[in-house]
Parts: sequence; C-alpha cells; structure tokens
Amino acid sequence: MSHVPKHTPAQLIFASRHIRFGWWSLLVFLTLGLVLEVFHGFKIGFYLDVSNATRRLMWTLAHAHGALLGIIHIVFGLNLRATLEMNKSNISLVSIALIGASVLLPGGFFLGGISFYAGDPGVGIAIVPLGAGLLLVAVFLTARAN
Amino acid sequence: MTQIATSDSVRADFDGIIVSSVDGRPMQLERHQDEFWAEFDDPGWNGPPEARPRITRQVVMVTGSHHQNIYWYATGHERTLNILPAVYLLHEARWVPRDAVVLHPPNQRVATTDGHWNAICISCHTTNGKPLLSEPFGSVPINQQTVATTATEFGISCEACHGPAEAHVQINRNPMRRYREYANEETDPTIVQPKKLDSVRSSQVCGQCHGIWEFFDAKAERQANTAGLPYRPGDELRNTRFVAQPTVNANTDHMKNLLLADPEFVRGSFWRDGIVRVSGREYNGLIDSPCYKDAATAERTLTCFSCHSMHKSTDDPRSIDEWADTHQLSSGMTDNAACLACHETIEADVQAHTNHTETSSGGSCYNCHMPYTSYGLMTAIRSHTITSPTVQESIEVGRPNACNLCHLDQTLSWTSSHLNDWYDIPVPELARDERSVAASILWLMKGDAGVRAITAWHMGWQPAQGVSGSPWMVPFLGELLGDQYDAVRFLAAQSLRSVPGFEEFAYDFVGPVDDRIDAAVGVIQQWSTSSFPDRYRLPRLLFNANGALDITAMRDLFDERDTTALFLRE
Repeated sequence: MSHVPKHTPAQLIFASRHIRFGWWSLLVFLTLGLVLEVFHGFKIGFYLDVSNATRRLMWTLAHAHGALLGIIHIVFGLNLRATLEMNKSNISLVSIALIGASVLLPGGFFLGGISFYAGDPGVGIAIVPLGAGLLLVAVFLTARAN
Repeated sequence: MTQIATSDSVRADFDGIIVSSVDGRPMQLERHQDEFWAEFDDPGWNGPPEARPRITRQVVMVTGSHHQNIYWYATGHERTLNILPAVYLLHEARWVPRDAVVLHPPNQRVATTDGHWNAICISCHTTNGKPLLSEPFGSVPINQQTVATTATEFGISCEACHGPAEAHVQINRNPMRRYREYANEETDPTIVQPKKLDSVRSSQVCGQCHGIWEFFDAKAERQANTAGLPYRPGDELRNTRFVAQPTVNANTDHMKNLLLADPEFVRGSFWRDGIVRVSGREYNGLIDSPCYKDAATAERTLTCFSCHSMHKSTDDPRSIDEWADTHQLSSGMTDNAACLACHETIEADVQAHTNHTETSSGGSCYNCHMPYTSYGLMTAIRSHTITSPTVQESIEVGRPNACNLCHLDQTLSWTSSHLNDWYDIPVPELARDERSVAASILWLMKGDAGVRAITAWHMGWQPAQGVSGSPWMVPFLGELLGDQYDAVRFLAAQSLRSVPGFEEFAYDFVGPVDDRIDAAVGVIQQWSTSSFPDRYRLPRLLFNANGALDITAMRDLFDERDTTALFLRE
C-alpha cells in the first residue's frame, strides 16, 4: 500500500506559489538569455570585447543561475504537492531561502557585471555567497524531508 | 611578437605549396596535421653552388601578425633557430625572399645566420629570454657551441612591462585585499604600473624594446646571456645598457667604440642630424622630442602613455581590431586632442596656428609634427621625434619635410616662403633645382634609398594625392619600378596602383629584371597615351614648354642620386 502524503492547505498554497514563481522566474531569465544572444548576434562590444570578459561571464552566470533556480522552484512546488512531508515552519523557511537565493544569486552576478574591476566583478558579487548559503539551506531541508 | 607555430599563428598556406621567390631552387612547404615543414637549399652551405644540398626542417615559431609572418625553423643543432628563406606578406598574401622585406643594398645579403633569433631577437620577442650560448654570438660558429636557449614566455607577456610578479600574485589571492585597493583606488606596491612611474622611467618600460641600444661591454653581454637582460620595469634603463642617442652621445667613448666595430651603426638607424629614421625605435624619437626633454613639469612631459594604451580601456567604444589598427592609440588620441591637451593656447584657434582648415590633413598636428619619415615593415611610419617642419632639414639632412610630403607638387622654395610668412622661419639659401623642381621629384630622383622609399609611399597617401593630384606622378613612380632596392620598387608599385587608371597594374617587385623593365616601360606608354590634365603640365613637375615630360632634366637629376649603400636596421 502506497504512502499517501498528508497535505495541509498551507502546503498546497506554498506549492502553487513556487510553481508560479518558478515559471515567472524562467520567463525573466530566459528573456535575459535571449538578450545576451542578441548581444552575440550583433557583436556588441559592451558585452563581447575582450576587455569586457568579466561582464560577459557575470551575466552568463546570472542567466544560468536564474533559469536553473526557476526550474528548482517548479520541482520544489511539484515535490511539495506530490510527496513531501514537511512541517509548516520548515516549508516557510525553505520557501524564503529559495526565493532569497533566486534574487541574490543571479542578482549578484548581474550587478557584478554592470561595473567591474580589472579581473574582478563589481561589489554586487558580494551578495552571491549569501544567495548560495540560502540555497544550501533550502536544499538541505528539502533533502531531509524527502 | 613571436609565437609557437600553430594553425592559428601560421597564416600562410603550407599544404603542398612551392615557393619560387627564394634564392636558389624553390622552397617546398608541407603541412602534416599541426606541424609545418619546409624543404629548401641549405643557407649555410659554403661549397660550390651546384653542390648545395637540400634540407628539410620543421617551422617551430612565427614572428609578426600584422604585416608579415616570419617563420623560424629548428636547425637541428640543439635549440638553434634560423629564418626561412622567404617571408609571407599578410596584406599581399604572397611569399617574397627574406632579403626583399628589408631595405638593404642590392648586392648585400641580409643576415640569415643560424642562431640570430637565439642571440638577438629573443631579448624583445620573449619574456625573460636567455640566449645561453656558450660563446658570444658570432665569435664561434654556432654549431660548435652549446645552445641551451630558454624563455619564460613567448611574446610580450605581463612581466615584460609590469616586472616580476610572484609576490603580486601571492598577495592578491586574498579577495579582501583586492577590493580594499579598488575601493581606495590605491596603487598596488607589489607590481610596477608603467603608467604611474615618473615620466622618464615610464617611457623606458617601452624603450627597453623600442630603442636602439648596446651592451656596455662584453661582460654585460655574457651576464645577460646567462641570466637574461638585467633591466626590470621601473629601473633606470641607462644603468644597464648604452642607449644610442647621436644627438647627445655621438662623441662618447661607447659610441666611438661601437662605430669602430660597426661603422654603419648610426647611419643605418639615424638621419644625419641624429633623429631616428627606422620603425620600432620610437623611444629614440621620444627622447629627442622637445615635448619630452624640454617639458616644464613632469605632468606636462610627453610619455608613450600620453598617447598610447597597452590595454584597451573599457570605455573605449572602438573594437579591439580598430584600436590595434591605430597602433594602440588611446581613445580620443587619434586627432589633435593629443597635442592640445598641453598646447592650450593653440586650442583656442587651431586654424590660426596651422593656416589650414581644421578638418584638412594640414590641420592635423600629427601630419606636420610627426610626419611619416621613418621607415620599416615596407611602409612609412610616423616619426616619433616631435619636430616642426623646416626646409633646412631637407637641404641639410636630406629628410623630407612634412609640408612637401603632402604638397608633393610644390618646390622647397614655395615651402620656405610659406614657412617664412606664417612662422617667421628664415628662408634658407636654395640651389637652382630646389627653387624650380617639386621637392618630391628631387627626393625620388636624388635621394638615398630610404628617402626614395618614403617619398614613393607618400605618392600613394590619400591626403597628398588630394592636395597634389596624382596623374603627374606616374612617370616618376614608373622610374622607381627599376630601382635597385626591392623596398623602393615595392612601394612605387603600391602607390602606382592608387593612381586612377593603374589600379590593376601587374608587376612583381621581385620578379625577373626583364619583366620589371617591361612593366615600367608599359607604365610610361600607358601614361603617355592617356588623357592627362594640362593643369599638371608644369615646369616644376618636369614638363617642358610643349607640355612634354622633360626626360633630360629627369636624367640630370637621376645622375645626382645618392647611391651610397644603405641598410636600414628596422
């Protein structure tokens, strides 16, 4: 006999919120990817010149992290809806951590590429480790609950 | 710069190619995957020519990526390198004999000695190069020596200009330190920033390679042979080498000794007044410039970095290629702004100073004060000795003046009159032909090979053609097609192709002599039958009263040509 998860209304609300957040997040960061492709297509020096390699790397990372985190939101929402048993406080914590990571990780990379130093990204990169920490917390709590 | 021979750096086709533009039998090129091989007559053979053996060698390195690809092969004796007997011209996409790319006397071979790269070129074409020859180069045949040459990196890498960086790399592993420096806009004391050195030492960083120098003595050569050149960015360059500057040290013992060993040492690189005349030696030009040596303050002293940047700045809108094509001029330094930053009084009314409209070529500071009077890489290069044009320099030194390099159709007398009217420069005493014949024709007919090359190049220079017209130049350029110097013929043909009606002119400057003569005759015939505007049929352009070319006058000038052998050591 299969195990039937004990869903609470709050759990379902969180699940919907993350699925919705994930799709919108995908839309934003896939659009960013399209903009970066346009930069490639029109050989925009602001993005492609050797002297702007740091910007190119940072914005590529922003695009990749943002899009992948969007997928994680969707998977988390589906996981929550299908099988996951997690108490409300933990769900709330994971939710905040995941949303925080989705803002801080790609946001930090993006800011780091706006203005930068010789071989280092701009100071905006400082928020990336915070986002990474939040992501680790979210993944740990979710893994433990599965 | 020198790079390893790879499919990226080797621009010529090696795939089963036969190159006939070499001394002796044709050179056969082969490519085996990523290896490049050449079979050619042994250049080191001293026996009878008919017994000269063929050798097959692998090309291991390439020098040049803008104008020419020069290929170096491993001779087989330890780490000794030598140069292939032909050079690949990138713009023309063709092979030419090695000798042809250097302005040298026709009866004199250009050195293609085994080990030349190991002993000489290595100092600037690698970073931290060490020749490691067991005996001084040239004192003992290289194949009887130990040749253990090493280099840390090929080409001009970071430490060539920024100095040793081990401590810098170690300490900057700490990101907090880096960001603290960014925030405080501090200069990192663990590394040399050439731009932030004082004006003298700043330019010396470039001058270590872009200057003409020699070792103080044999002991210094041996030390550099073992440990590499002792100069490090930020040092006083003259502490460890003798920088040749004939305007200052022509009578020193060092210079006298150099001239004893090599009588052409100065003449091959400098004009008679001591100003450098070859490319790649811009530091020598800079240090003779009033903007450098007579500057009132350090802030107003001209340095290499006043105009050039070695890394394209992030706010420079140009592409890397566009920036490189301007010889790495900084953003905003391609026009008069470069000079007007210091010459504020002229900035208020540039036209009042130049007597030319601001947008014309005569309104350009560069064109008048840095004319293309240096030679190298088969082209004319801007002089980096900032000067003001005078007729005196042309009649005393033989150097073409900036005015007549644009106003090619005017006489020295015309120029001296204008310079007198505009700048109160005294009118010098001029010979009859200097008063009556266009200066460019005098330079083409009477000048030395370097002057002829520079003048021939200017006849294809668009600003000069715009001011002076071009149809009248054809017979004079045609005459140069028979010049004894390869480089002069090359430039004459190149300029000729820029004259309307001669765009498709077929001519091989290193082809058989008879073909070259036929081509020159054909040019004259085509020109003489073409419609040629009467406004150019002027006596000063050697046309007689009937409007016909005055061949006798042309021949008379030719008879006065400076035929002294000239080898420009670019």
